[in-house]
Amino acid sequence: MRQVWVVLRREYLERVRTKGFIIGTIALPLFMIGIMGLNIFIAVQASDSDRELALVDFTASIGEEVAGRLDGLGYDVEVMGPDVSLEELDRQVIDDELEAYLVLDDRTLSEGVFAYHGQDSPGITRVALFESAVNDVALESYLATIGTGEELRSLIEGGRLEFESVVEVEDQAEAEAARMSGMAFGFGGAFFLYMATLLYGAFVLRSVLDEKRNRVVEVVISSVTPWRLLLGKVLGVGSMGLTQMGIWAASAGILLLVAAPMIAAQIPNADLELFTQVLPGPGALVLLIVFFLLGYFLYASLFAAVGAMCATEEEAGHAQFPVIMLLIIPLILQSATLGGGTMPWMDWVALFPFFSPIMMFPRALQGAVPWWMTGLSLVFMAGAVVGTSWVAGRIYRVGILMQGKRPTLRELVRWVKEA
Amino acid sequence: MNETAVRLSGVTKSFGAHTAVSDFDLDVPRGTILGLLGPNGSGKTTTIRMIMAILLPDAGSVELLGGPPDMKRRGRVGYLPEERGVYPKMKVIEQLVFLGELRGLARRDAERRAAGWLDRLGLEDWAAKKVQDLSKGMQQKVQFIGTILHDPDLLILDEPFSGLDPINQDVLESIVREERERGKTILFSTHLMEQAERLCERVCMISRSRKVLDGDLRELKRRERTGAMAVEFEGDPDWLYRAGLVDAEKVNGAWHIPPGRISHHELLGAAMREGVNLRRFELLEPRLHEIFVRHAGEESTEPALQPKGGAR
Repeated sequence: MRQVWVVLRREYLERVRTKGFIIGTIALPLFMIGIMGLNIFIAVQASDSDRELALVDFTASIGEEVAGRLDGLGYDVEVMGPDVSLEELDRQVIDDELEAYLVLDDRTLSEGVFAYHGQDSPGITRVALFESAVNDVALESYLATIGTGEELRSLIEGGRLEFESVVEVEDQAEAEAARMSGMAFGFGGAFFLYMATLLYGAFVLRSVLDEKRNRVVEVVISSVTPWRLLLGKVLGVGSMGLTQMGIWAASAGILLLVAAPMIAAQIPNADLELFTQVLPGPGALVLLIVFFLLGYFLYASLFAAVGAMCATEEEAGHAQFPVIMLLIIPLILQSATLGGGTMPWMDWVALFPFFSPIMMFPRALQGAVPWWMTGLSLVFMAGAVVGTSWVAGRIYRVGILMQGKRPTLRELVRWVKEA
Repeated sequence: MNETAVRLSGVTKSFGAHTAVSDFDLDVPRGTILGLLGPNGSGKTTTIRMIMAILLPDAGSVELLGGPPDMKRRGRVGYLPEERGVYPKMKVIEQLVFLGELRGLARRDAERRAAGWLDRLGLEDWAAKKVQDLSKGMQQKVQFIGTILHDPDLLILDEPFSGLDPINQDVLESIVREERERGKTILFSTHLMEQAERLCERVCMISRSRKVLDGDLRELKRRERTGAMAVEFEGDPDWLYRAGLVDAEKVNGAWHIPPGRISHHELLGAAMREGVNLRRFELLEPRLHEIFVRHAGEESTEPALQPKGGAR
């Protein structure tokens, strides 16, 4: 066990100390925080220097309403009546006392058309903002004149699907929110599992291949059994992965703590309470970690076997293809369920250990499968870890000391038998 | 304690159609320096890899330090493979400590020993450098330290001197001799006969996958004497001609007498009769290279024509 620990420590330290790790782990979140900070900074700057607009209202009805909307977008708007001198306003714009002025008239009421007088034409974003602000107000005023209320407005704005569960559920809204959150976090988690397994599996492959290519493995293997070497290596890379994910999770947490109130402030009507209620709890996190660990061990040994049977990086690139396919197929199957509809047979496919992390985890999170099925998939995965490491360990044992060309499938079978 | 450090009996190993080692017997007594000699591709590395259980023999048995070459026994061996291998991105000292710890040394102990050896081999300033920043020769010395760090009972060195300059070869040779003085056993392979002649007590010659001969180096040389002699004396060599040795040849001030002409009793008798003032008399012993050529029927420095024994 001490040897496993020695190998693990080397693998871990050598990885954690590399520039790539530091950049990937620490610099990346810092960079994202920085970008976010910059965004906030720019937003604050922008609102500080409220741009001054004038609004000339020939309609005598919607001027104040439009000004209120534009105010909410960060513009300092002064509403003027039809008696104002447009020449004077033009002069103010040219002298930079005023950024621009809008003119609302009868056409605004009937067609939503209005004029923007400025030195330069406004950017795409401002055009869209102004258009929607004016149009909303014009529409509302029109609807008011013909005396229709909310119904027509809702129809104009587009319909909405309301889900009615045929099963007895205590709180319909909450159940629906929980289902949506399960779906979102489930698929997010599945994708994360896919990325993480691929990333750290590739690390294991690279580590095995490097040791083999620079021949150091012959020295190491003379004093440690291949099993221990492989175990230490997989654990070392895994610890590195957990460290990395821990740092990411921590920075994401900080980011959320800082950013969440800001986001909440931007969306005044957001139901924060419901939002926090449907966030996945610690149970989901534990489940994610369990699925990650089992999936990682399952695939790491496969990647190690691939590394052991290759001599060059290029060769390994080709040889790892079947393993990567094993990861991609469940991701494709899982994406298919995003479109909606249930396919009960897929729940059984999700029991296949190599597919389980990506397919069973989201199902478990959504509560789409009974708990015993999740449990069964974990048992299957554990069994598969044992079986796979047995086979992969034998390929590894023979492969790491082999130079020359990649073995054929028949030779591989012989390695497994003979090792 | 068993008196044999390594024992191979009837060991055979083939790679496909190519037989790398054929019916090989070898005993390496404890406390000796044994040289495994032979041209490239003769099966030296395959033999060594079988001793280290990196390859398993197709037939025959391998005994290491009195038993099968299991992990425990291999842990008492310091093995320097032919293919030099280092972790290029690790620091020198960390790499050595890693190897030491892997073989059961405590961290402190490994650090202390590694520092001592680095000092001895003149690498103390490079301890904190990455291995990849060192020259090939320095890397090789680092690897040698890794081999010897855990104070193994048996050193198995595959071509330990290749790629080193003469000064470092001398340093390594003296360390090998020291280890021998401390009662350790050293088995090393080389294709350089001169080196083996300087360093070995025993030799084992391999040619074309087969053992040609082995044994105590001095005994071997004595046995391989041809009857050639060398004499140095004052005065002119007429007496040699009178003794019928007309094809005696002067080499570096000494007269060499080819084998098969006259026995050394007769030569000394003739010198006495003639009243020659002898300064030196020697029964010439063949050089290892000559012995090898005589027995193997091939040039010892012949380049490898067969594929290397790497693939299974």
